[in-house]
Amino acid sequence: MTSVKPARAGRPRTRNRDWLHGLLMSTPAVAGLVAFVGIPFGYAVVLSFYNVRLGSPLAPRFFGLEQYRRLFTDPDLSGPFLRALLNNLTFAVVVVPLQTGLALGLAILLNRKLRAIGVFRSLFFMPVVFPMTLVAVIWRLILARSDQGLLNSALHAVTFGNWGAFDWLGDAATAMASVIVLSVWQGVGFQMVILLAGLQQIPGELYEAAELDRATRWQQFRHVTLPGIRGTLVFVAMLTSVLSFRVFDQVYVLIHGGGLDEDATRTVMYEAVTTAFDQNNIGQASAITVVFFLIVVALTIVQRRVVRPDNED
Amino acid sequence: MASTPMATTRAPRRRLRRFTDYAVLTVLAFVFVLPVLYLLLGSLKPSDQVLNGLSGFLPTHLTLANYAHVLDALNSDSTGYFWRFMGVSLLVAFVVVTGGLFVNSMAAYGMSRLKWRGREAVFTLVLLLMLVPFESVAVPLFYLFNDQRNTIYIQAVPFIANAFSIYQFHTFFRSIPPSIEEAARLDGAGPWRTFFAIVVPMSKPAFASVAILTFLTQWGSFLWPVLMVSDPSVRPLPLEMSVFQGQQPVDWGEILAFGVLLVLPVLVVFAFFQRWFVQGVASSAVKG
Amino acid sequence: MSPTSPNRRRYRRTAGTTLALALPLAGLAACGGGSGQDTAASAGSGKGTISVWAHQGQKSEDTALQNAVTSFNSSQSRIKVELKLIPGDDYTKTITATDASKLPDVMEFDGPTMANFVYNKKLAAIDDYVSAKTMSNATDASKAQGEIDGKHYGLGMYDSGLGVYANKKLLDAAGVKYPKKATDSWTVAEFDKALKALKAKDSDGKVLDIQENNGLSNEWGTYGFSPIVWSAGGSLLKNGKAEGALDSASVVSALKTFQSWKSDVDPNTDGNAFAKGRVALSWVGHWMYPTYSKALGSDLVVLPLPDFGNGTKTGQGSWAWGIGADSKNGKAAGAFLDYLLNDTNVTAMTTANGAPPATKSALAESSLYKKGGPLERFADQLDKPCGDSDITTSCVAVTRPVTAGYPTVTAKFSEALNSIYGGADVKSALQKAARSIDQDFSDNDGYQIQ
Repeated sequence: MTSVKPARAGRPRTRNRDWLHGLLMSTPAVAGLVAFVGIPFGYAVVLSFYNVRLGSPLAPRFFGLEQYRRLFTDPDLSGPFLRALLNNLTFAVVVVPLQTGLALGLAILLNRKLRAIGVFRSLFFMPVVFPMTLVAVIWRLILARSDQGLLNSALHAVTFGNWGAFDWLGDAATAMASVIVLSVWQGVGFQMVILLAGLQQIPGELYEAAELDRATRWQQFRHVTLPGIRGTLVFVAMLTSVLSFRVFDQVYVLIHGGGLDEDATRTVMYEAVTTAFDQNNIGQASAITVVFFLIVVALTIVQRRVVRPDNED
Repeated sequence: MASTPMATTRAPRRRLRRFTDYAVLTVLAFVFVLPVLYLLLGSLKPSDQVLNGLSGFLPTHLTLANYAHVLDALNSDSTGYFWRFMGVSLLVAFVVVTGGLFVNSMAAYGMSRLKWRGREAVFTLVLLLMLVPFESVAVPLFYLFNDQRNTIYIQAVPFIANAFSIYQFHTFFRSIPPSIEEAARLDGAGPWRTFFAIVVPMSKPAFASVAILTFLTQWGSFLWPVLMVSDPSVRPLPLEMSVFQGQQPVDWGEILAFGVLLVLPVLVVFAFFQRWFVQGVASSAVKG
Repeated sequence: MSPTSPNRRRYRRTAGTTLALALPLAGLAACGGGSGQDTAASAGSGKGTISVWAHQGQKSEDTALQNAVTSFNSSQSRIKVELKLIPGDDYTKTITATDASKLPDVMEFDGPTMANFVYNKKLAAIDDYVSAKTMSNATDASKAQGEIDGKHYGLGMYDSGLGVYANKKLLDAAGVKYPKKATDSWTVAEFDKALKALKAKDSDGKVLDIQENNGLSNEWGTYGFSPIVWSAGGSLLKNGKAEGALDSASVVSALKTFQSWKSDVDPNTDGNAFAKGRVALSWVGHWMYPTYSKALGSDLVVLPLPDFGNGTKTGQGSWAWGIGADSKNGKAAGAFLDYLLNDTNVTAMTTANGAPPATKSALAESSLYKKGGPLERFADQLDKPCGDSDITTSCVAVTRPVTAGYPTVTAKFSEALNSIYGGADVKSALQKAARSIDQDFSDNDGYQIQ
């Protein structure tokens, strides 16, 4: 999206001292980023080559690539991590199109001059402001496995008593789906607002012209709406995929005391945190962190490659 | 969006379409609001009426007792005080938001409008750091700052500089026609004055959007406090929510009341800034 | 040698990279030295303010502790105690993560984690600070839990025990017979039969509660269900090794039985399954007694856990109190511990949580646990301790492994337990857990305490 091209950067009129001011202005933020993102990340790389235990009286021992070997090829230790990778991937592959599509649908529905449209917009957006810890608690009650759970009793009523209790969170088959549903519920409003903003940038005349050409609603969508918000759509999809790799809060809260099936929903971040804080194994947690980062970078690069040709003109 | 087959009759077609739009919107809105309604109703009911099948939805037995109990239970030095948890959350969010607006906008300006050697490299570094989710540095950060546990500043300071905010400001600033600043510069204004007196006032939507985004993330922040905070005197609200929820015996009514209190400030902020938010997002996202 | 950050080649010249390399290595070197050389707190003046950390437990326990602190503060003027409650779920992690110098003067800790805190130099021996009277009044089980190499690092106000609570009315309605004598327990086959009989009479077919709402991949999982392992003749760790102990054939078959119960278990999302009479049996610790006895009255029966072949077993050990390794006021800390462990406070606490008192005088007076009391059975169990390694058929109360590697043991075991409960293959889950525990022990030189 934002390729850094010096070509656009104005006339060569800049004063000599600009370099100093530019540097000064950038310094606080860049220093902060280096201190709290860059260095810790470099530190993670270093730590991943060591056997480091939190609070251990033993000195950290150089471990070479042992932590990585354990993550990927050790039959006993690699299981949870590889499963977490798979879960993360599943989550992203489902959530990105689902959430983006749903957000687009909502945005199109809301992009009308109807009365009370603002109310609807606020309602769809409302879950976004809910902290994940709270969302997890609410949905834990809705998806409760007993027949008193909201969803179970609703299905019970709808099926005239043919639906028994189902363990939505605890069943390996539906655990991830449950996490996806509550995550989409919480997150879709955000993407919707962005897309709505994109839609509102499309000049109304284009639709009027399309209407004169007797274009159907679908044709209008295909030939006016989609091209008009392509940039926004790409932005939204990217944002969603980055966010979907960071899934942690809801999984953590629901596994610790919500009866969520751990194996079906553990994510890479969950692995890193539990390895570090339940097992005090900082070295291995750091290795997970590094692998996680490399995957995110790789995916972003691939995504950019895919997106760029249509985006650039 | 699929029009109903009925809609082929021409005259009332428009009204019918409007009707179906409303119908679809209402149904969807209902689905979206259900959990919120459940939260609100549950917070007003005695615990044993909350997880009680569909009747959990019936507005019966309503009482404010849960709220009173929450405030009552969290009212001593050893457990911490409810208002103090909220105060910590508000303070941390305030520091991160204001500090972040200042530092990140300045950096974005320095990188988008002033020319200096290496700025491309630095900006690319920022873009790269944008890819590093906080979660992936949480472990080493925790290890590095272990001796700063249980302070308020360690909850805020690491989040002030934010690569994504810089990116958003950067995109916005690049969309401002350079001619305005150039005029100011020709009038003798230095880069600092140009920035604070000309650019900042022009960029309210960007500031609003970054502020709201930052506030939302910060208010719900959970992972970092889990790692760094145990002392109830500096504990933020979402962490206390999970603590409160874990206390036996479980009292769902009180937990949901706590939830309502947790989300209320954000709803207020949102209601207040909604218009800015949409504008800000529009300008930073669409023109990206 | 140098770690390659992904874009190192391109931005070699940026200052960040250099810093990123230099700083952490310095940090590693600094950590290597180990913090706090000696684990003997200094005595101090015996006056002033001392900080106290405790875990946040049930609401009633918190109140009892707060009351103890308040009355201590008003009973004398030399020492002022400042109490902080820290969530039980994160408590152990918090102590682990906190540097010894930032730990409070007095802190609570969960029994099985003690060895790790001694290993990490976070606890001081309390022998010099606690009065002889307090020490001699502690029960043998409590002293044993707190002892390493002849020194004591902690004493508890209460101990713990596990049992199956039963609803007499529901058992009778389903025609289920249960052991009446204090020494008897169900065999696992009888327990299974009881479940089936109860199921036939139950509207939703859920007849057992195992506190699933707490989750199993945590300390509750290990504490609540390692008795199955012991009762099947296995153990979590034998001579510092899990392989062969945790994954033996008898343990595998016992946990297969446990797995088969899932369909009979009430999810207990509201925590009231047993108290409300939805289930007839509840597999849980002594701590639910106050709630249950209030709800069921004389219909409440307390039974030992089912016997899987090697005799019935129960967990043992609980929260205990110790002195921070870096405390500058050991004398005052000791004075507070003396006060906390007096009859008034122990009785108030054990009344609040229903636990067996861990002091001799309070135990003798306890209306619940004294001879003839309704929970005498728990006291009896604790009277037949196995220690952590010598698990015979006749002893009942087993101590979780006393090793600094306990965090790994419990993490791996509870993880395996949770996956087994979720339907995983029992044998491979246990083998995997055993191998990972052993790997971790060898990574840490067997967790030898220096």
